[in-house]
Amino acid sequence: MTIVLYSLTILTSVLGMVSAIGVLVTGVPVHYRLGLRMPLGEFHVGIDPLSAFFLLTITVLFLLAGIYGHGYLKDQGKKGLNAHYAFYLLALVSLMLLVTAQDAVLFLLAWEMVTISSYFLIVFHDDRKTVRDAGYLFLIAAHTGTFCLWLMFFLMGQHAGSMDFDQMALASFPATLAGVLFILGMVGFGVKTGFIPLHIWLPHAHPAAPSHVSAVLSAVMIKMGIYGLMRMILIIKVFPQWCAMVLLLAGMISGVGGVLYALGQHEIKKLLAYHSIENIGIITLGLGIGLWGQIEHNELVALIGYAGALLHVFNHAVFKGLLFLSAGSVIRSTHTGEIDRLGGLLKYLPWTGHLFLIGSLSICGLPLFNGFISEWFVFRALFEGMFHLKMDALVFSGTGIVALALMGGLAAACFAKVFGAVFLGNSRSLDNTQLKESSRLLRVPMAVLGGICLWVGLFPGTMVSFALAAASTIASVKLSPAMEGVVISPLLTAVLVLFILIAVTAILFLFKRMAAKCLPVERAPTWGCGYSAPTARMQYTASSFAEPILRIFRNVLGYGVKGAKLQGYFPKTQEVSSHVVEASEDLIFRPAFGAVRSLCAKLKIIQCGHTQVYLLYIFVFLLLLLVWKIV
Amino acid sequence: MGTGIVLHIGTIMILSPLLLGIIAKTKAFFAGRWGPPLLQAYYDIWKLFRKGNVYSTTTTWIFQAAPAVGLATVLVSSVLMPLGGLKAPLSFWGDILLFVCFYGLARFLTIIASLDTGSSFEGMGASREAVFSCLAEVVLFLDLIILALLSGKLVLSQMLKGDASSSWHLAGPAFLLMGLSYFMVLLAENARIPVDDPATHLELTMVHEVMVLDHSGWDLAYILYGSAVKLFVLGGVLVNVLVPSHGLSPSMQTGVFLGGMVLLALGIGVVESCMARLRLNRVPLLLIGAFVLALIGVLVVLLKGV
Repeated sequence: MTIVLYSLTILTSVLGMVSAIGVLVTGVPVHYRLGLRMPLGEFHVGIDPLSAFFLLTITVLFLLAGIYGHGYLKDQGKKGLNAHYAFYLLALVSLMLLVTAQDAVLFLLAWEMVTISSYFLIVFHDDRKTVRDAGYLFLIAAHTGTFCLWLMFFLMGQHAGSMDFDQMALASFPATLAGVLFILGMVGFGVKTGFIPLHIWLPHAHPAAPSHVSAVLSAVMIKMGIYGLMRMILIIKVFPQWCAMVLLLAGMISGVGGVLYALGQHEIKKLLAYHSIENIGIITLGLGIGLWGQIEHNELVALIGYAGALLHVFNHAVFKGLLFLSAGSVIRSTHTGEIDRLGGLLKYLPWTGHLFLIGSLSICGLPLFNGFISEWFVFRALFEGMFHLKMDALVFSGTGIVALALMGGLAAACFAKVFGAVFLGNSRSLDNTQLKESSRLLRVPMAVLGGICLWVGLFPGTMVSFALAAASTIASVKLSPAMEGVVISPLLTAVLVLFILIAVTAILFLFKRMAAKCLPVERAPTWGCGYSAPTARMQYTASSFAEPILRIFRNVLGYGVKGAKLQGYFPKTQEVSSHVVEASEDLIFRPAFGAVRSLCAKLKIIQCGHTQVYLLYIFVFLLLLLVWKIV
Repeated sequence: MGTGIVLHIGTIMILSPLLLGIIAKTKAFFAGRWGPPLLQAYYDIWKLFRKGNVYSTTTTWIFQAAPAVGLATVLVSSVLMPLGGLKAPLSFWGDILLFVCFYGLARFLTIIASLDTGSSFEGMGASREAVFSCLAEVVLFLDLIILALLSGKLVLSQMLKGDASSSWHLAGPAFLLMGLSYFMVLLAENARIPVDDPATHLELTMVHEVMVLDHSGWDLAYILYGSAVKLFVLGGVLVNVLVPSHGLSPSMQTGVFLGGMVLLALGIGVVESCMARLRLNRVPLLLIGAFVLALIGVLVVLLKGV
């Protein structure tokens, strides 16, 4: 049974990948209508370049994470793996349906299927209470969002007279309605995507799930919110200007907030989950400036902005997938994800370590890796926005540039912290010599993802042209070769410089190697500045590494350190802990939902448990309906 | 073209360490000493090139690779910058982003290389470097926004030349504010007083020096030379903007540029002589000050209209 589900997953994703690439290369959308009419809509699926781009992302990640997952779960000693694989397959199919659906009802149906199947994937370790709670929170958050989406699509359908996306796109939406729809979309899709402050489920669900599920969750599922927003922009087309401002603001807040929260985390997967929020912020910045360009009829800004957002969707999927998978490999070997307990793993888990390094360099947007390509696009879109758009856009894109720069610096600090603490130096508490590198089944998918990071970073042409094709679909413009040249040619020169960099580095390295042959090379312990008995526990911890930054932003984050005071000349053992306050969870949603709960508790009076009384309720209600009908 | 590139790279590669000598001489002058010879930095680097390496047993290849990558990034980034009349050998739309990201790459590798040793001192330095560079990068981007707005371009060499320096009379205040905040970033990025003291003797208070505590021989030579080139290139950006050489012949422009570089080194020397290093928790305030200056600069540009 397992093998059937497993091969079906692989087959489905390969087929999906092939058709997505087919559409992206030829640029000809495919459509399929099943005559079968569903209530309110029709079974209409189609792949346009936008769908194809997301389809590609989904299938690549599901394929690789699926192979990894097979190896990851093999010796977990848990029964019911079949159910897990079945839900994994269901999640894949429903995601594919989601991005190909060309009908609102079908879209919402697929949306719901994605939510349900992800829920079952998240609660794999359902014997733990934290996991069950995280799953529950996910379910509530997802459905709160879905509620807004139903409202949004019904309003759209009512105005356009059809639930079919093609028909909707023909209708023209008045500005007020477009604004209302935008807000509903921002909330509905934003919960799934994890805009701050709607992100509360994200940092709980990602660490709770098994690593390959966290990978697809972060790489693919949360991107569906972005897909939804893009589809919405494609359909409605004309928005009031404040919508672009809201998108840019959401991008800045989520981006900077996400990375700051990430810096305050001590658990590796939770940290990565917050980084997903940061990257969603970067994507949203691209989307926002693209929308602004579209509103002001500037094709260049629109195309570069959207292409940057799309490219970052793919890139983030790849490097975040890689990071989650390699974090999973660390957790599997060491049985802990606490950053401050680990250390020196690069020597004992070389594959995992080096692949994590590739992922880290990519996520920081550093040159040679794929993150740089998409961040370069988003930066460029914001600068072009400054040059080409009106005054208020200038202020927003300028702020966006500063925010993006801050995100880059903070992300670099954060990943220096994680990589340094987990993989470099010496182990802080474990005996590393006992560790075993993960099996080939786990290593190969990670290596492929790492390869994609480098491929996109050094040969970006293919993915950029795919992203441009999808971007021109969103902006509803035809992509002229001249425009494509303006967008791509500077990037290719930049890549040329990267190759020069590689060459120069290689030469410098060779010189050193040659010199090392005739000069003495010694190995000795690390210089302890005169202290003769250093231990591994004296190393700088990840928490201390991040402390100065967190202290600067302590008022925003509610950062605090407990129990750092030592007393007396020979102090006893002291406990120290630092933490950041999850403001939106603890200060907004928990009180709000608490209020709802106490309100509902008051309504319990009407629940007395007698069937007769309930019958009376039904009777009274029917009576009211009758009265309403007559009046 | 070919000779131009050789001349360009050659100038940067040969003259960079001289700046360190000028700074040291200035400081010595203020202290009433003779100080080390002007070419001391060259001697130091040459000395290091003849020395062997000691590698910590804790370290991995990252520790050995970081210095080479660091030097390579600053050398390659220098081809994007014009030297007065000598045009930048390579320039393209958006090269400025690559320019900044190169320094990010070098910094990231230096930080993880220092964490590679497992030394608590180097961890401390790495942590500080991460914080300061985060803030410095933000200010740097604000300065770039000013230049981009004034020139309407996203190409480093055009942002620095041409339109920019001819519009001094229009945008003088913006240039001054930008120059001031950029100067602070320059001091922070190149580990100079008041942010960091390259000549301090206490590991506990160092930032950049403590990160490279375990490097020796060729690696240290690469690092030392790399930081000299970095000072030259980042300083060159400022000199290109602030020293007006518009309308002169190319060779004169280059001469004026090099004169400006000497002035810049003297300026850094004066700052180092007159100021003490700031307490570590004060450094963010300095950088935030630079941020505010740059922000006012942006506002000035916006109010004048672009």
